[in-house]
Amino acid sequence: MNRRNSLAFRLIAAAAAVSIVLLLAAGVLLSSLFTAAVERSLDARLQAVMDGLLASVELDGNRPKMDKALADTRFEIPLNGWYWQIRPIGGAKDRQLASASLLDERLPIDQFNVPDRADGARMAGYMRDRSGNNLRAIEQRFSLFGSKELYSFLVTGNFDELEAEVSAFNNALIAVLGLLGAGVVAAIFFQVRFGLRPLSGLQAELTQIREGKQDRISGDYPVEIQTVTDELNLLLESNTEIIERARTQVGNLAHALKTPLSVLTNEAGLHGGPLARKVTEQAGIMRDQVSMYLDRARRAARAHTIGSVCDPNDVVKALVRTLERIHIEQGIKVDASYDAQVRFRGERQDLEEMVGNLLDNAFKWNAGRISATVRPARAPIDNRISWLEIIVADNGSGLPDGGAEIAMQRGKRLDETKPGSGLGLNIVFETASMYGGKLSLGRSELGGLEAVLTLPAVGSAG
Amino acid sequence: MRLLVVEDDPDLNRQLVTALSDAGYAVDSATDGEEGHFLGDTEPYDAVILDLGLPVMDGVSVLEAWRREGRAMPVLILTARDRWSDKVAGFDAGADDYVAKPFHMEEVLARVRALLRRASGNASSELSCGDLVVDTAGARVTVAGNAIKLTSLEFRLLSYMMHHKGKVISRTELVEHLYDQDFDRDSNTIEVFVGRVRKKLGIHVLKTVRGLGYCLSEPDEQA
Repeated sequence: MNRRNSLAFRLIAAAAAVSIVLLLAAGVLLSSLFTAAVERSLDARLQAVMDGLLASVELDGNRPKMDKALADTRFEIPLNGWYWQIRPIGGAKDRQLASASLLDERLPIDQFNVPDRADGARMAGYMRDRSGNNLRAIEQRFSLFGSKELYSFLVTGNFDELEAEVSAFNNALIAVLGLLGAGVVAAIFFQVRFGLRPLSGLQAELTQIREGKQDRISGDYPVEIQTVTDELNLLLESNTEIIERARTQVGNLAHALKTPLSVLTNEAGLHGGPLARKVTEQAGIMRDQVSMYLDRARRAARAHTIGSVCDPNDVVKALVRTLERIHIEQGIKVDASYDAQVRFRGERQDLEEMVGNLLDNAFKWNAGRISATVRPARAPIDNRISWLEIIVADNGSGLPDGGAEIAMQRGKRLDETKPGSGLGLNIVFETASMYGGKLSLGRSELGGLEAVLTLPAVGSAG
Repeated sequence: MRLLVVEDDPDLNRQLVTALSDAGYAVDSATDGEEGHFLGDTEPYDAVILDLGLPVMDGVSVLEAWRREGRAMPVLILTARDRWSDKVAGFDAGADDYVAKPFHMEEVLARVRALLRRASGNASSELSCGDLVVDTAGARVTVAGNAIKLTSLEFRLLSYMMHHKGKVISRTELVEHLYDQDFDRDSNTIEVFVGRVRKKLGIHVLKTVRGLGYCLSEPDEQA
């Protein structure tokens, strides 16, 4: 069975795909939210520095000047990423003012040059300094008291220091979401398994029914499946019922026809004359036709009944017992050997007809010895299922060369001196074929005919 | 030899009774299972021809009931249902042989003869006692090769005695086995029949056992 084409696979795959997409989206969202929060808090700190700058800068002539240094010492360590700078827009270098940490380097402000920017509007962005630090920068533009010239106030912080925090968060996030994902997939797996378990129970029961170990679905199933199992049970019952009815009617028909036929034959036997002979002859033809078609109808009614199984040992024992009594004058004890494990997958009546005819033949043709054997097949027809063999052998004269073919044909009799309709072996042959089995005729170790009947058995191929 | 035929089809029943009577048996008949069971249970039949498909009480049940009640007479079953399962059921119920419908009357006659012979322990259809030979198949009687002509009742008597060779048979038993149930029985007529048979055979095989009945035995066993 293709595992990909299963309900469990579909449910698990669909649920897992959705969960993974959702978890990935949640991860991306959480990570960007955290980064934004980190940025906001850095921006707030930078803004405080910016406010300090604004409070302490004034114009000395046309140059900006700090009247007191900032308290934060980070702005004094050279090239550490923490900088501030004040410069006139498009102004000369000598009118610029910057933190000691920036040494003589100046940061470009081109990225903040946007048209129609309001005075005092804050802009934020990222840039790099000469030593490659990733800088978070905020910039505001003011005109200083006593001048109309616009100055750019820029404060930066070292974002690399925060990057570590972000990546630590991301790692934790990946770990947590990964675990969550695995947990969700496992939960889905168990949920699906648990949810679908009644289906495997149902499957097991159906297998049992097919193998004839039970005749209806008896388990307690969830409401959704219960309706299906109820319907299946009704189907099984009506199937059995139809077959039962057909069988009964066939039997009744047989009885109804055969008694009048006996009366006709016997009445005609009492009177001589051409009419009586004609009646006898035609009644004989009718008798043969009736048994042929009844036999056919009987088998058609029985074909492929769901889940019939019978014990071939019982069948052979019963037939041996019966035939020994029928032919009590021969005084033969059938040398029978059985295998208690073997079960025939099919109708008991069919097996009885097949084995009955084979044993009947053996009783007809033997010279004192008959053997019957039930065993698992030594030469199975294929390996898909297991097979059983029923072997009936005698020490009679056996079949002449090429006789096997003729013996199995309808109405053919190799020896017209012995009683029989010539239907026996043909019935066995046709019934065995109906089950996918076969009948082979050969020479037995006892010296006479050996008939090997190979039929499907219950159980997997062994 | 007295037989019972249990068959519900009136035509077939009549044919069986006629054929069996013609063959020299005393025959009773029943047309349903209950009547058949009652007769088989109360009358001493030497063999029964029993149809399996009977109204009121089916043949297998009748047979099982007889065997349960210890009735051991040989039973030949007639069945339209010639499946092996039916045969197995019939034999397991206690049948001794079967004939499948439709059948030829000769087959039934042959089977009945075989059953009676088997019941009395004889292997051949020819029963003999000294020079006396009774061929049950052909209903012929010879003494030292010479054919003896007997009436139907005389043959029935001799045949019953031959089937029970060496046993003492009471008059009552003879009456029960020679006449069907509708016959006006009188055990005194038996003496007349025995006398006629002795005379026709001309050899002393049918002996009177005083106060008990008759016994058929070899002439030289005469003490």
